[in-house]
Amino acid sequence: MLKHSTPLLIKLLLIQILLVGCTSPPSTEQPLTATSSPTPEPAGNVSFMIFGDPAELQAYQNLVKAFEAKYPDQKIDLIHIPDQADYRQRLAADFAAGTPADVVLINYRRFSAFADKGALEPLGPYLEKSTLIQADDFYPEALAAFQWGRHGLMCIPQNVSSLVVYYNKNLFQATGVTYPQAEWTWDDFLSAAQALTQDQDGDGRFDQHGLGVEPTLQRVAPFIWQNGGDVVRIERSVWTRELALDEPPALEAIQWFIDLQVKHHVVPNAVEAEAENYESRFLNGRVAMYLNSRRGVPTYRTITKFDWDVVPLPHKRWRHSSVLHADGYCLPSLSPRKAAAWKFIEYANSVEGQTLVALSGRTVPSLKAVAVSPAFLDPAAKPLNSRVFLDTIPNLRRLPRLVHWSEIEDIAGDELERAFYGQANLAEVIKAAGLRTEEYFP
Amino acid sequence: MAVPHGAKRWPALTHPQALGLMLLPYLLGLAGFIFVPAGLMLGLAFTQYDGLSLPHWIGLQNFTLLFADLRFWAALKNSIFFTVLAVPLRSLGALALALFLNQPRRGAGFYRAAIYLPTVIPDIAYALIWLWVFNPLYGPLNVLLINLGLPAPAWFVDPSTAKPALIVMSLFQIGEGFVILLAGLQTISREVLESAIVDGATRRQLVWHVILPLLRPWLVLLTIRDVILSLQNTFTPAWVMTGGGPYYATLFLIQLAYEEAFDGFRFGQGAAILLIILGVAAGLVVSLRLLTQRWSNQSDE
Repeated sequence: MLKHSTPLLIKLLLIQILLVGCTSPPSTEQPLTATSSPTPEPAGNVSFMIFGDPAELQAYQNLVKAFEAKYPDQKIDLIHIPDQADYRQRLAADFAAGTPADVVLINYRRFSAFADKGALEPLGPYLEKSTLIQADDFYPEALAAFQWGRHGLMCIPQNVSSLVVYYNKNLFQATGVTYPQAEWTWDDFLSAAQALTQDQDGDGRFDQHGLGVEPTLQRVAPFIWQNGGDVVRIERSVWTRELALDEPPALEAIQWFIDLQVKHHVVPNAVEAEAENYESRFLNGRVAMYLNSRRGVPTYRTITKFDWDVVPLPHKRWRHSSVLHADGYCLPSLSPRKAAAWKFIEYANSVEGQTLVALSGRTVPSLKAVAVSPAFLDPAAKPLNSRVFLDTIPNLRRLPRLVHWSEIEDIAGDELERAFYGQANLAEVIKAAGLRTEEYFP
Repeated sequence: MAVPHGAKRWPALTHPQALGLMLLPYLLGLAGFIFVPAGLMLGLAFTQYDGLSLPHWIGLQNFTLLFADLRFWAALKNSIFFTVLAVPLRSLGALALALFLNQPRRGAGFYRAAIYLPTVIPDIAYALIWLWVFNPLYGPLNVLLINLGLPAPAWFVDPSTAKPALIVMSLFQIGEGFVILLAGLQTISREVLESAIVDGATRRQLVWHVILPLLRPWLVLLTIRDVILSLQNTFTPAWVMTGGGPYYATLFLIQLAYEEAFDGFRFGQGAAILLIILGVAAGLVVSLRLLTQRWSNQSDE
């Protein structure tokens, strides 16, 4: 009995798995159904997947609640993945399984991996037809980050954030160091960090560090740009791109960045970082300055032990470059509820929607009107100096949007980390980063 | 509540048929969750497949790409290092504890439960506990070492101590092997042991010449199972505690497969790594068989 039935069952299972596993690539030809949908969409809730700390989650919960109150016939299922790396993998698994959420938040450095395979619905035509939001309402820097070749705009950016310096005002006061000013230089930055790095109990180990910054390509990039270097160059002989970290201006900037730890010890070393990470040290008042984007604000607003504020990155010879941080609302082409999903994306990026998320502190709103409103600039809500983020916008530069950029960033980060903690010399890691990332460049 | 037609609708099954029927759900699960995916994996290993478009055949390219990646060689070495070191230690540990706690003694029940307990703690929680234990500055282990005047290793920061730390934590999750060997010891009949004692066997001779040979099938089974599991179970602790660092010192093949597939959209390469894991497991199991066969030949002499 078994002999006869199992092969058939295996065949059936095989067929089913093949059908599920190898869903054919979605056609980009299909007509847009933004405003006039000829066929009714399947019933069911629109799912919306996000990442972030509990404080960030709260912001999106408020957004969903407001949307559902405004459109009682629409329901949103919020899917929350706390960690950003896990989020990336969840996205990949969901897309591969053919069941992505109807609306997903994706960083501009990552959407190209999905866009390249036709997995995202171009949103330009939707935006054109929208009566609620217009392209002109957004900061062009934010929209430009989500342009993808001939497909145009792929996602609607929620924010136009950047890397800034968060600082603990109480530690500056206690040490007698004046608060950092907007026009401070690399040298000012280093001397402040040095003054704030202290061994208070005299046990030979620093209890307080001046600075916390993760040794990643994304963090070091603005310093490379400020020093006149670049992250990626085009190899003109074969017209392919490659890492440009081995050029003197880039090398000099990276050496300066690494020296913050290796030479000046103003950043906790590898053992200290393993014992407690930089952000946690900042939250506990053990690191005086911490480099992060706007994303940290909802969590930092829970700090009660000390006062804090933000200041732009220090500059080198009046070059003020910072690095763009932006996430967009993207609509997977596999979503069966595109019209309903767009309705939510549209609302989330209307003045009303962006105001709600901006109030939590999570975003530097991509809508100009919201960015200059009290929702973002309210002097009663920390940080006092939120305008720093808006002043930085003209100086923002983007990291490349390549299909395999995540891997390039990961490998470069693994190599930089070795040099940052003094486990390898700079020349060695730059060479390794160049060689190891070659295969991921188009 | 007699059902008159019952007998007609349900003809009496022969014994093998009944067994087959009862096995059916299991076999279906085995087919659906093991054999079919394994077959697909085998095929995928020779294709380029990003999960979004259709896979296409690229022959051995996945393997040549892997062999050019320093992460692959690091992961291969790490996986073999971990398995070759952790499996014997775990098996010996389980055996020693089983021998020790086999005889009824005061508190044996408590100790048995205590030994089994770490095995039932969910892997993530277990990893987080050890992450705290191994914290280089605030962890109880290093605080203890420093107070004893001993050097305090940096554990997961230092490539030379990161893998040993993972092995150490794996040594406490031997509850299953312990229970199996305990059961194995119970099968050894009293008469055999008593007659050996009557013949004047010392305690050591008893263990070495009577108990161990009788326990051999159990030990072999346990070790083979542990080899296979060790190649897979390194995923959770490494993922949670080190992410594969420092500089790939705790990157294992299984994590590399996961990263290639789900971080890099290279499901073909992920499948290729899984195939290599299968090869490594097969290689280790075969060498283990050869080793134990020699042992059985020797003990027969």
